[in-house]
Amino acid sequence: MEEFNYLAPESFDQAVVAKSQHAEKSRVIAGGTDLLLRMRDKVVAPSVLIDLRHTSLDKILISNGVMILGTSASLSQILENSEITQHFPALQTACREFAGPPIRNRATLGGNIVNASPAADLVPPLMAYDASIVLRASGGDRALPLAEFFTGPGQSVIAPDEILMEIQIPLLPASSAATFIKLGQRRSMAISQVNLTARLSMNNSDCVTDARIALGAVAPTPVRAHSAEDALVGEKLSEDLIRMAAKKAREEITPISDVRASLEYRLEMTEVLVRRALIATWKKQRRTKTSG
Amino acid sequence: MSDLAIVGKWTAAPGAREIVTGQARYCPDIQLPGMACGKLLYSPYARARIVKLNVSAARKLPGVFAVITHEDIPGENSYLYAEPDQPLLAVDEVRFQGDAVAAVAAIDARAADAALAAIRVEYEELPGIFNPLEAMQPTADQVLKGHDNVMMSQVYRTGDVDAAIESADIVIENTYRTQWAEHAYLEVEGGVGLVDHDGGITVYSSCQAPHRDRMQIARALGMSESMVRVITPYIGGAFGAKDEAHVQIHAGLLAHAAQRPVHLIRERRESILTHVKRHPMIIDYTTAATKEGQLLAVKARVIADGGPYSNSTHEVVNKCGEFIGGPYNVENLEVEKIAVRTNNPICGAFRGFGAPQAAFVYESQMDDLAHKLNIDPLQIRLLNGVETGTKMYTGVVVREASGMKESLNKAAKLIDWEKRDEIERNPKPHLRRGFGMATILKGAGLGRGLNDHAGVVLEMHRDGSVVLKSAAADMGQGIITVMAQLAAERLGIDIASIRVARADTEKAPDAGASCASRQVMVSGNAVLEAADSIRDTLLGLAVRKTKISKDRLDLRAGHLVVDGKPHEMTVKDLALRAGVWGYPLHAESISHFEYPTDVPEVTYRYSTEVFQFCTHIAQVLVDCETGQVTVEKLVAVHDVGKMINPGGVYGQIEGGIAQGIGYALTEELIVQNGLTKNPSLENYIIPMAFDIPELEMEVIEFPEPVGAPLGAKGIAEAPIIPPAPAIRNAIYDALGKPLYQLPMTPERILPVVNLDD
Amino acid sequence: MLPGKNSEERKPVDEVEIKLNINGNVTQVKTEASTTLLYMLRDDLGLTGTKDGCSSGDCGACVVMVDNKPVNSCMMLAPQAEGTTVITVEGLEKDDELHPLQRAFGETWAFQCGFCTPGMLISCYALLETNDDPSREEILTAIAGNFCRCTGYQGVVNAVQRAAAELRTKNEDTEKTDV
Repeated sequence: MEEFNYLAPESFDQAVVAKSQHAEKSRVIAGGTDLLLRMRDKVVAPSVLIDLRHTSLDKILISNGVMILGTSASLSQILENSEITQHFPALQTACREFAGPPIRNRATLGGNIVNASPAADLVPPLMAYDASIVLRASGGDRALPLAEFFTGPGQSVIAPDEILMEIQIPLLPASSAATFIKLGQRRSMAISQVNLTARLSMNNSDCVTDARIALGAVAPTPVRAHSAEDALVGEKLSEDLIRMAAKKAREEITPISDVRASLEYRLEMTEVLVRRALIATWKKQRRTKTSG
Repeated sequence: MSDLAIVGKWTAAPGAREIVTGQARYCPDIQLPGMACGKLLYSPYARARIVKLNVSAARKLPGVFAVITHEDIPGENSYLYAEPDQPLLAVDEVRFQGDAVAAVAAIDARAADAALAAIRVEYEELPGIFNPLEAMQPTADQVLKGHDNVMMSQVYRTGDVDAAIESADIVIENTYRTQWAEHAYLEVEGGVGLVDHDGGITVYSSCQAPHRDRMQIARALGMSESMVRVITPYIGGAFGAKDEAHVQIHAGLLAHAAQRPVHLIRERRESILTHVKRHPMIIDYTTAATKEGQLLAVKARVIADGGPYSNSTHEVVNKCGEFIGGPYNVENLEVEKIAVRTNNPICGAFRGFGAPQAAFVYESQMDDLAHKLNIDPLQIRLLNGVETGTKMYTGVVVREASGMKESLNKAAKLIDWEKRDEIERNPKPHLRRGFGMATILKGAGLGRGLNDHAGVVLEMHRDGSVVLKSAAADMGQGIITVMAQLAAERLGIDIASIRVARADTEKAPDAGASCASRQVMVSGNAVLEAADSIRDTLLGLAVRKTKISKDRLDLRAGHLVVDGKPHEMTVKDLALRAGVWGYPLHAESISHFEYPTDVPEVTYRYSTEVFQFCTHIAQVLVDCETGQVTVEKLVAVHDVGKMINPGGVYGQIEGGIAQGIGYALTEELIVQNGLTKNPSLENYIIPMAFDIPELEMEVIEFPEPVGAPLGAKGIAEAPIIPPAPAIRNAIYDALGKPLYQLPMTPERILPVVNLDD
Repeated sequence: MLPGKNSEERKPVDEVEIKLNINGNVTQVKTEASTTLLYMLRDDLGLTGTKDGCSSGDCGACVVMVDNKPVNSCMMLAPQAEGTTVITVEGLEKDDELHPLQRAFGETWAFQCGFCTPGMLISCYALLETNDDPSREEILTAIAGNFCRCTGYQGVVNAVQRAAAELRTKNEDTEKTDV
């Protein structure tokens, strides 16, 4: 690992000042479980490291119908939060299937986003829940939908003087349900071959009023399967419709072959898993209705 | 001796306290004053000519104590397992990604990295030879100039194979493929070299064969073996890859060059790229049988990719051939064994030593035969299984084979084999459940005609405490516990009274390598002999004192025992008496593996004659849409002859199964044009806690009549062997379609699912 | 070995001073900012019980407790541990008496080579801190980031359940005494 100056600002404001001062030469570290690997392998070599540990950005709270998650919230914190269990269970499933406990205790939500890995497990559920993010620079804040953040593998729109401050997720109507599915090569400590979240809102006659399908590890960035979503909205849900939507999702993605999976396998699994996620979500809807 | 006090009982390992408190020192934990950090510069290419190698800039850097290349090696520049064909530091060409070209010792890791970066190597990349089938062609370019790419080509025949095939009711012919597999012990290879006051070199080595290390280090340094000492500290796993030397030779060379201690520990990535792998093999296999399922003939051709250097390839491929017919009566057998040099990763020993590849093939073939003939897989195995007294296709007469059929029957009972069809086979439209078995044999010991001996030194002190000195490396497999138990049993004391020194070539005679499941037998026998010699002294003194004849005396639980009842005289009393009066309580024993001389002709070269038998049965669930396989249940029944240390035996079985499940389903080094694409624990997929089902294990004991201490015949290798074929057969049962390649990844299973019947 | 450890002979790089509580002792360490917590423990403090199996967060041999949570010490910088409370395998033994978990690991043969044991012990210790009667499933979850190549995981499950039972009995006894 190359040498660097380590800064641990006492407040977020100071962190933002430091970031604007050191800009490209600096990196922000929270959990560090991904950044340190890339620094060790000299993929990145910042001369300044800005640690967020004193900035109190690990809060999770609900305000005005929006859940706000601080960038430094660890995956374990998200797993233990009962309000997330209630409102965003698919996000918790993604956390539960992420690495193992020692990594989950350090890895943060913000880190999983900012690293812009196409396979990031928390991004599909966040995208499916319509999350947006707030980036802060000394010049002010910038909010944008999470889906607009990524530009390529490891690439995003974040400016050198910006720090990801928080993630916002609007609370959803009770008529909405979501399912996260991850395909990995073993049951823990696996990087996703494909991961995805499907979310459906439906009216009383099984008609889809809103749909989100967000996929990871099948394109240069996490992606939404828009045409699959469009095919669902306004239609009465059926197995045939779901099959058709799953096929469309497969047509929308542009995966690659790597050591974890081939392009062909990712294409095929996307279709299988989108179908499974939609069916599981449909079942959850039914249960909610029966019990409600 | 019929009721044993210590052997066969659960006991904590000597050293357990050190391990659970973090005090156990492994090579990376050794810290010495003035110790330098050693590193090696490895080839980035699978094959390249070294055009220029210039280390002068690196030598001038601050904090750099030594930079060495092949020119600076005082003695022989080669490893020596069987053939000295692998350089310690490359001379004119690098032949695989793990070839080292230079070694540095510097004040710390940062300075060592700077030195590596300052070494100027100009390579001319050469077209590599990566396909073993092409490498075999006479026109192929030589991987190692002056050496044939075919480093081994032997045919072994018994009976009349062609005639048997001609007369058979059924002939099944398939081609099987296996992968490169990685040992992935948690402690990577390492060594610490230091210079003794008289110029000799001591090396702490994470190894399986301390005396062979000593020979190799002395050879590289051009020193006599008396000037070199090898000590093994705690060792964090080995599984065969630390059988041949790795960086401990370089640690010695660097310490000598820098004239100070040098710590040389590989990084995980370096470890995966450089040390030997399990051989990938292509095996063509023909089985001929009667319509009743009686085996008539086996014909096999094994082609193994050994990488550029021989290492233990000859021996591994020879063992693969030795077990190619499985634990079955096969009167007519022909096996052609071919090993080829390529510019792929170097291959060598890995737990099982060629037997896992053979078993994947013969046990798959057995199920193919059972399916075709519509015979139950259990019955066809019972029909063909070897029995005590059977003359094997190798010419060896099996002296004790009861474990073969007994393990089959016991395993079948454990999983309720007869009622397996009552279990839901199709729990969901896309899920299929299946059951599969595999029964195997693995020889213990190196084999007839090979040097297979071990020595120990045992010393009892006046206070009755004992020091046991052995150079048998304990890499975690537990030989230290076994030796302590055997000594304690014979001396009538508890294990806590025995201090077992870790292997040190200056303290104990050669015990050979801890490999081939051999140490329980060879070192075990040596311990019994040495302990009996001290026991004789003690009992002799007791006879003098008590005037009771020796045949009525015994030692047990710290006491002299007369006619089975504890006498007031203790072992300590006897030890004190011996010490004061100068009777020998010091014994050295060297035990040779026993091969009876009155056997009929044994025709297979280096045949083993003691066999571990075991049967595994797996229950799997296949997701036909994703190709994922879940091992839901696995039962394992092992014949160990005699169980000395239950904790160690069950641990070996479970650990072997975990490795076997990985070998079956996920573990594969992905090599493209000689370059390894997944040299990390992130991408080389080893089973973790959730990937292993709850196991049912049972140990059966059919004592080995000859050469085994109390009948014990070792356990180390057998457990890794059956999981792959058992899981393969279970997948076959689930899908109704067979697979012929390892590992059985989802991407290999899906096309099979989708095959039209 | 850590970069820059023997640096008295060279120009030292920027060092940071870290104060933290390790195994009950307030400790002050001077080290490079790029030092991981793992190598601060091993090289600066000589606590070599915590192992390096991969330096990439994949194997769990380096797991230690930081502020009551098990973490991979190879994936944490030393300065990130400033002000924290750290427990390593060396800190499990109290007054020369092994923790029941340590004893159980030996008795059930929850290890062979022992290299994974320090990290495995800490993951299990963390579990027992919050769960006095863990199920097999809960134990497997706790060790899902700890890799054992020698002996699998059944021995660990047995050891944790044995230690949990012992701890429960101990606590009951204490409660009785308190009454």
